[in-house]
Amino acid sequence: MRKLFNVASKSLRDQRWQIVGYGLALLAMAALVVFIWPSYRTTVESIKLPQAMQAFLGSDLSYASAPGFVSAEFFSWIPVLLIVYAVVQGTGSIAGEEGSGTIDLLMAQPVARSTMVLQKCLAFCVGAVLVVALGFVGFALSIPFVSIDIGLADAAVASANLLPITLLFFTFSLWLGAVAANRGVAAGAAVAVATGTYFANSLASGVHEISGLRYASPFYYYGAGLPLVKGIDWPHVTLLFGVAVLFLVLALRAFERRDIAVGGVPSLRPRDLLRRVMG
Amino acid sequence: MVEEGIVSVPAIELRGVVKDYAQVRALRGIDLSVEAGQIFGFLGPNGAGKTTTIRLLLDLIRPTAGTAHVLGLDAQRESLEVRRRVGYLPGDLRLYEGMRGHDFLDLVDSFRPDKRDPAYRQRLLERLELDPSLTIRTLSKGNKQKMGLAQALMHRPELLVLDEPTSGLDPLIQLEVAQLLEEAVADGRSVFFSSHVLSEVERLSHTVAIIRSGSLVAVEDIARLKGRSVHILEVTFAEPPPADLFALPGVRELRRDGNTVHVQSRDSLDAVIKAIGHHQVVDLRTEQPSLEEIFLAYYSGTESEEEGDAEALQRS
Repeated sequence: MRKLFNVASKSLRDQRWQIVGYGLALLAMAALVVFIWPSYRTTVESIKLPQAMQAFLGSDLSYASAPGFVSAEFFSWIPVLLIVYAVVQGTGSIAGEEGSGTIDLLMAQPVARSTMVLQKCLAFCVGAVLVVALGFVGFALSIPFVSIDIGLADAAVASANLLPITLLFFTFSLWLGAVAANRGVAAGAAVAVATGTYFANSLASGVHEISGLRYASPFYYYGAGLPLVKGIDWPHVTLLFGVAVLFLVLALRAFERRDIAVGGVPSLRPRDLLRRVMG
Repeated sequence: MVEEGIVSVPAIELRGVVKDYAQVRALRGIDLSVEAGQIFGFLGPNGAGKTTTIRLLLDLIRPTAGTAHVLGLDAQRESLEVRRRVGYLPGDLRLYEGMRGHDFLDLVDSFRPDKRDPAYRQRLLERLELDPSLTIRTLSKGNKQKMGLAQALMHRPELLVLDEPTSGLDPLIQLEVAQLLEEAVADGRSVFFSSHVLSEVERLSHTVAIIRSGSLVAVEDIARLKGRSVHILEVTFAEPPPADLFALPGVRELRRDGNTVHVQSRDSLDAVIKAIGHHQVVDLRTEQPSLEEIFLAYYSGTESEEEGDAEALQRS
């Protein structure tokens, strides 16, 4: 046991304050959104938002309903917070340890590169589950005390639905780090893609001419607060999860085949990058 | 500790190892065999390829061409087994700054649970005068180096691969490290360490390999290298001797202070004695040549590039 999960447990220990921080942020936000719903309800029920505005809030649900409100105020933007956590951990797992130089001693131990990466992935999954679970605790501590048309089970399902997209951005940044061997470059690219796809989804859904763009965004498949009323959309979850696994496989492949960089940044010339992308 | 038969397998065997980085050829075909059961010094100026060679042994980087075997195992295909049996100290040592010493050593131990030996680890820490309860961030450079040495030594590996092991250590601890390496060898284990300091290699190792610009220049037994007759003479004449007095084969005039000339002679002293015999000699002293001088006498060659490297070695 000790040997099986030593990298994972170290990685989890390293993340402990982040888990607490992100978890408490989610907990507080969830509880706050639920608690303010009754006072907003009367105001909001009388408002009919323009469709574009509605779409920009990241959900097809009406803002005037409790699920719509919780979706817009919580589920539509909480992934952004979780993705920051995912990118920090994803780029840190390989490229970060190369940048700090600690990877030499780690990889001089009898542990396969793939095992190291998979253990760090496992640690992140545990961390993400804990963060999301703390978010659910926020719902559990508020929903029973407020008149709101959302059940605890709905909140649990929608909270769990945060995980696939978080995992996707983790493995995506892991892959970027494995290819670039440079944390700054990897994190920059990951944040650019996250931001781009986030706005692609929210803007495209309101503009007919480019509405097709949203299908290229993971945020579309995530669906914000929709699971509050419709439950889990399994095809979408499977797609997000599948792409996450694909990037994990690509990351393992890229890292397995290259030299471990230490002390200096390896070549970032497009040709060399491409060679590492292709393996 | 070490199984029968392992001793006959070379600790390290490199064949035609070439390593190219994006723009540079770091290793230009290294052939090297390191016998087990000895301390092997790997000497060369900074940037000669020492660290590249060492990182190849642990599969941290892969050779462009050639093969590397460690303890009879393929350094790439059987790397996990290699790493299980090797203790490694990186040249550019970076530790997990936020961890306490104990926790870090526990982490390293957790990779080889069958080789945990808390009593030995404790003795090691005492001998290195290292307090493992401190957070690594608070340690001085020398103490971090001790931490690096402790993690490499504590599981008593069959082979120690140490990149610049004494860097940053004070002389007393350097002696302790030398002692620890001697003990490892007495125990039937092997040590391969790099250094850019010739005197250190002379003091610690049994055999030395000299690398320069990615090529091996020489592999020599230290005792034999020292036994090579290089004579250093300090001759004081009554009158200034002719400038070309020591222009003889195998003889080099090192420097001149007035009537005193420092001469170095390879092999026999005969030519020097005959040459000075025609002049009035006031004083004649001989010096015990250091390994440095022997090395320079034999390997500084005639190429100017080689001279430059030899000087770099001497300076360091």
